[in-house]
Amino acid sequence: MLLAYRCALASERVTAAAIEANEFPQLAQELEVWAVPRIVVDGEPRWDGSVPEAEFLRRILAAA
Amino acid sequence: MALLRAAEETTVREWFGKLGRPVELFVALGPEETPATGAGDVDFGAEMVRVCEGLAELGELVTCRVEDEPEGFARFPSVSVRPHGRDVGVRYDGLPWGHELASLVGGVVEAGRLEPSLRPESVAALEELDRDLTLDVFVTPT
Repeated sequence: MLLAYRCALASERVTAAAIEANEFPQLAQELEVWAVPRIVVDGEPRWDGSVPEAEFLRRILAAA
Repeated sequence: MALLRAAEETTVREWFGKLGRPVELFVALGPEETPATGAGDVDFGAEMVRVCEGLAELGELVTCRVEDEPEGFARFPSVSVRPHGRDVGVRYDGLPWGHELASLVGGVVEAGRLEPSLRPESVAALEELDRDLTLDVFVTPT
């Protein structure tokens, strides 16, 4: 989660939200959240699990 | 019930004592979605206020403000972590309980930094972005 926050704090282009899946089950179901952390970029589920900073950046920028 | 254990509270006080700039926890309350089963009778909004006010007590530069149904929030409760009170797009939607409280604490620490804590090459890569990017990270408290 902190990597996403760091990206948002480093760039005005980026926003980052943690979403508590149990409190928003409808949204979690729509985005097929079966494992956490699930990373969703621009509304599209991308991957599950934590990755190192360089890989995180590579993946979100590839989705941009 | 205390927000943190004594040792954890001491650590968070130390972190918050080193913030380089003020950080506001802007709590947005409003109509809540029916949570998944097992949530019991938790008043998520009231708990969110308790958590954020509790964190604000741990650092002179950390403040908490609460509003009902402010504009720009899709889900309630939510907390926007705002350096100098400015919305920079850092949020936690839902109650940050269990070990996820660490995510909110970490968000405050990051927002209180004067410089990004990403590696320089990561910052440079983000500077190349030519459009907005929305990151949502689904989490659970356990």
